[in-house]
Amino acid sequence: MNAAELKALQAPLIILVIVLGLGAGIVYQLDQTLSATKRELAQQQAQMREARTRLQKSGEEKELIVRYLPNYEYLQRIGFVGDEKRLNWLEGLRLSNQQAQLFGVQYQIGSQQQYPYAAELNPGQLTLHQSVMKLSFQLLHEGDLMSFLKALGKQGAGFFAVNECKLDRANAGSSIRFQPNLRADCDIAWITLRAASPGERK
Amino acid sequence: MADKLLISVSTIQVSAARWHGGRLGICTIFENSDAGLAVFRDYLDQGPHLPVEIMVDAVEEDYRFESLPHSFGSDRTEMIARKLKQHYRSTQFCSARMQGRDPGKRRDDRYLFCALTNPELINNWLEAVTEAELPVAGIYLLPTVSAMLIEKLNLKQTNLLVVSIHGAGLRLSFFREQQLRISRLARIDGSAGEAIKNYAEEISNTRLYLHALRVMTLDEHLSVLIVDRNDTLTGLEHVIARDNPNIECRRLGQKEIVSSLGVTVPVMESSSDALYLQLLGLRPPDNNLAPATVTLGYRQHQLRRGIYALSGVTALIVALWCAMAVYQIFDAQADTETTRRQTTELQQKYQEATRQFPAAPTTAENLRRAVEVSQKIGATTRTPEIMMDLVSQALEANPAIVMKLFDWKYDNSEFAAARDANPGQPSTPAFVPPPVAQVAGKRKESALIEGEVRPFRGDYRAAIDSINRFAESLAQQPNVGDVKVAKLPLNISPGLTLSGNTTDSREQAGKAEFIIIVQMKPSA
Repeated sequence: MNAAELKALQAPLIILVIVLGLGAGIVYQLDQTLSATKRELAQQQAQMREARTRLQKSGEEKELIVRYLPNYEYLQRIGFVGDEKRLNWLEGLRLSNQQAQLFGVQYQIGSQQQYPYAAELNPGQLTLHQSVMKLSFQLLHEGDLMSFLKALGKQGAGFFAVNECKLDRANAGSSIRFQPNLRADCDIAWITLRAASPGERK
Repeated sequence: MADKLLISVSTIQVSAARWHGGRLGICTIFENSDAGLAVFRDYLDQGPHLPVEIMVDAVEEDYRFESLPHSFGSDRTEMIARKLKQHYRSTQFCSARMQGRDPGKRRDDRYLFCALTNPELINNWLEAVTEAELPVAGIYLLPTVSAMLIEKLNLKQTNLLVVSIHGAGLRLSFFREQQLRISRLARIDGSAGEAIKNYAEEISNTRLYLHALRVMTLDEHLSVLIVDRNDTLTGLEHVIARDNPNIECRRLGQKEIVSSLGVTVPVMESSSDALYLQLLGLRPPDNNLAPATVTLGYRQHQLRRGIYALSGVTALIVALWCAMAVYQIFDAQADTETTRRQTTELQQKYQEATRQFPAAPTTAENLRRAVEVSQKIGATTRTPEIMMDLVSQALEANPAIVMKLFDWKYDNSEFAAARDANPGQPSTPAFVPPPVAQVAGKRKESALIEGEVRPFRGDYRAAIDSINRFAESLAQQPNVGDVKVAKLPLNISPGLTLSGNTTDSREQAGKAEFIIIVQMKPSA
């Protein structure tokens, strides 16, 4: 095909190119719009299904609230649910020390971090944290350790788990009756749980 | 059927008519002269830009029926081109058409070569068309066009002679097995009173002519079709039948032509060639005499039309797709709106339902999970109490054992077992809690017990026996999973140096210290 023949076909070829270009542009634009609309529809349908399921399960939900709310409120009161209540812990330590008749407890609380065994507990949307407290105290005899831990548990200061306890003989220089014989070093983890408020629900 | 301009050229006149909507229009007649040509140019200038098909009715024509060796592709093309050049040196308006194979052993190809031997007849008219920039689709001889007549009338005669009156004379075209073999134009004065007789004589002579050309023998049956467009040849069939008993003759009158070919009487009366222009309009024959240089414009015209058609089809497809997409978009938007409304209604109903709920600080699911999590933590936490009880019982059973250090832990790590290999290390085992992100495996409850045998007077065998008994006492407890003596008072490994003394003095005998690691069975 020579230049003259190509020139004769110039007009139809330009029209073809314009039609193809415009067509491709319109098709692309509409396709994008269609995809977005379908996505929005799918999203809306998912929301509707969720709303319907929630409505259908509202009776069940009410039963759950009635059943679990008292326990939950108790957990809130003792400081397991919600923010850390370190003052409660320290108050618990003080009272436990008195009740177990110890010689005083030294403590050191670390920074709050994620609870490492949370996955075993299947917490769902809840988040679990722990603050490790290092305790150091002296005992008359080994039975005082459990007396102290039990007293601490009864204070209602929160939920804790004993990670480690080490008993070592204290350097007793004399045989005075109320002289501490043992030194205890314990690591306990104060565990707290945080739940989304109803307003935060999706 | 696309519109086109059909032109018939003869030595006397030129007829032109527009083919529109599958029908031929009234023919415009131009004299075959300079004056007629000038009028023709005006006619073309004023008309629409349409492709042109030209039909020629002239004495200066040639038909050759020839068998050639069977060939394909470029060989065939070259051979035919060579033959055309050989037969028709003086004209560019020639063509060849294959008409089947010879029945003989060689099965040669049979060709009909035809040509307009006097190109001057149409050159001026063709030039006028080209100047008007109308694309020329083809140039055909009138007899080749008349093959369409046989097809339309569904004539099956083996030997058929088609006879018709034209401006230039009496046209006689012979068809064998529905394929044109030869045609001639006889100039006979039809105005005289003896016209019918003269025509009959010419037809009889044609039979002899065909015999002379060895196209058919005199013994063969011949059918004659008289195309009488204006009913002026009435009775000719009877004259022919009377003079030639073995000729079957049929006259096709105006009424029959109109009914079978779809051409109207006014159109047919507008030109002697109108009937054949109608046939040309219906379907042009394969024998196109126009060389490629003449039909170049038409090919470009077709290409342009093809591109426009492609553009149109593309635009149509795009439009249809867009219509469908727009419909789907509106449909989806309507569905989305309906779904949104339903969702809102469901949410409102849910809100109404939740008003009956007790006030809760979080969702029911969170309440349930929080309580369950607290219960699980309560069930999985451990204290040193059980381990301390076990050790107390074992100590009571082994009074020679004095415990110096008790280290209990509950996690998924183990006490460092390498302490026995490094006796110089401090007695307190290094315990590093596992990193938060690296917790793996179930937690275990374990204890490290560091103690000594008292009294010890250098009897290592007795001391080691005491330690082993103590370890055995621990291992016999049902909750204990594993007891490991990590360090003994005396390392009797052959790989190490061993020194001491055998005095009974307690001060000089040293200490019989040991380390035992106890691991509880994993809880269910």
